[in-house]
Amino acid sequence: MISRVWAISKNIFCEGIRQRVLMLAVVFAIALVFLSVFLGPFSLGEISKIIRDFGLAVSSLLAIFIIITIGAAILYRDIERRTIYTIITRPIKTNEIILGKFIGLSLLVIVLVIMTAIIQQLVIFLFEIKFDPYILIAPLISIFEIMIMVGILLLFSSFSSSVFSSIMTIIFYIVGHMSPDLKLFADTVKAPGLKLLTKFFYYILPNLENFNLRTEVVYHLSLPRDQILFTISYGFAYTILLICLSVIIFEYREFK
Amino acid sequence: MPVAIKIEDLYRSFKTHFWQKITPALSGVSIEINEGEIFGFLGPNGAGKTTTIKILTGLIKPDKGKVSIFNQPPHSLEVKKRIGYLPELPYFYEHLSGHEILDLHCHLLNIKNSQNLISESLTKVGLKEAGNNRIRGYSRGMLQRLGCAIALLGDPDLLILDEPLSGLDPIGRKEIKDLIFEQKGKKKTVFFSTHILPDVEEICDRVGIIINGQIVEVGILADLLKGAEQPISLEDWFIKKVKA
Repeated sequence: MISRVWAISKNIFCEGIRQRVLMLAVVFAIALVFLSVFLGPFSLGEISKIIRDFGLAVSSLLAIFIIITIGAAILYRDIERRTIYTIITRPIKTNEIILGKFIGLSLLVIVLVIMTAIIQQLVIFLFEIKFDPYILIAPLISIFEIMIMVGILLLFSSFSSSVFSSIMTIIFYIVGHMSPDLKLFADTVKAPGLKLLTKFFYYILPNLENFNLRTEVVYHLSLPRDQILFTISYGFAYTILLICLSVIIFEYREFK
Repeated sequence: MPVAIKIEDLYRSFKTHFWQKITPALSGVSIEINEGEIFGFLGPNGAGKTTTIKILTGLIKPDKGKVSIFNQPPHSLEVKKRIGYLPELPYFYEHLSGHEILDLHCHLLNIKNSQNLISESLTKVGLKEAGNNRIRGYSRGMLQRLGCAIALLGDPDLLILDEPLSGLDPIGRKEIKDLIFEQKGKKKTVFFSTHILPDVEEICDRVGIIINGQIVEVGILADLLKGAEQPISLEDWFIKKVKA
C-alpha cells in the first residue's frame, strides 16, 4: 500500500513542481519577501515587524494560490482529461488514490511554504544580522491549514468540476478565516433562524483562524502548549474527516 | 474453452443534465469472449463501444445486467491485476516523462526492479528515444504508443483496448498490430474496439458489431461475410449493417 500511495504522491508532486505557473508564483513571492524591506518609510519605525508580518502573509497567500491553481489543474486533468482512467483500472484501492493525491499536493505546497520561510529568515538576517527562529512556528502551524485546504479541494473535486472546486476552496478559505466573526454574529443576531444557520456554519466550516499565529510570533507573545496541541489535533481531525468523505464519494463516482 | 469475458443483458443509459432526456447507450448487450481470443468490437460512433469498455473496466456501472471477467466482477482487485487497459485518446500528466509514467504503473502493479522492464517496454512501442522527454511534447501517436506500453505492463492475461490503432501512422499501426499478434501467441485475450475495418480483417478471431447499443452480429468474420447474399467486402457489409 505504501509503495502505491508514494508512487501517486511522487507523480503529483513532480507534475506540480514542474509547472511554469508555480515557478512564476514562487519567484513573485520571494521578490515580495525581499521587497518588504522597502516598506520601511510606511512602517512608523516598525520595519522589523513589517518584514515578519508581510513575509508570513505572502507565504500564506502563496499556499492558497498554489492549491487553487496548480492543485485544481492537476485534479482537473485527472477527471476531465481522463488521466485517472489508467490508474483507477489498476489493482489499487480508492483510499490509496485519494491519499496519494492528498500527500502529493500537500507536500508540494508545504515545500514551497518552508522555502519562503527560509528566504524570510535570510531577509531578517540581512536586515538585523540575526535569525528569528520563533516566527517559524507560524509557517509550521500553517501546514495544518494547508492540509485542510488540500482536503477541501480534494473533497469537492471528487464529485464536481475543477472550477467549482476552486471556487468552493476559495470560499472555504475566506469564510474559514472569518470564523470568529461568524461566532460573534451568531451570538449577537436576534432572529432565531439566522442565529441557528450562522451557528451551523460556524461549527461545520473549518476555523482557519486557529492556524493564524502571525500576531503572536511577530510580537513574540507566548504560545500556550495547550493551544498549539489543540490546533494540531484540530487540523489532523478535520483533515482526516475530509479525506474519509472524499474516499466515500470517490468510491461511488462514475467516470463517464 | 474457458470464458474470459461474459457480458449478460447489459443496459446503461445516460443523462448529461438534470433537464435532459435519458438516452440509452446500451440495450441488452450480451457477448462471451473466450480466453486466448482476439475479439474486435465494431460499431459506428456513439454505438456503445466505449460504454461497454468502461463497464468492463469498472469505470462505470451498468443499470442492469451482469459482467464477469475470469468469473469475477470487473472491479475486483484480482481482476484488475490481470487486465491491461488502453483508454480512447489516452492522456497523461504532461510534465512527467514516459519513463516516469511507466514507473508509476510498475509501482501500482507491484513490479520490483522495474528499470529494465521500463526500457524494454519503451523500446517495444518505439519510444526508446523519447522515453525521458516530457509528455507535453508527445504527438497523438506517441501518446497512443505510451498507452499501449502501459496496458502491456505486467504481461496481463486480458487486454482491453479502446481504439488502439487510431492516431497512429502506418508504421505505428503495424507495430501495435504486431504487439496484439504477439499476445495471441502467448494465449492472451484481447478485446478491442476499432473503426479501422481492414485491421479487423487482419487480426481478429471473432468480431461483434454493436449498433445503437445493441449487438447485431457476433461471429467469425469470414462466416459473417459468407452469410451475405453475394460476395461483399467487409466495408460494404459493415455499412449495410449500420444502415439496416
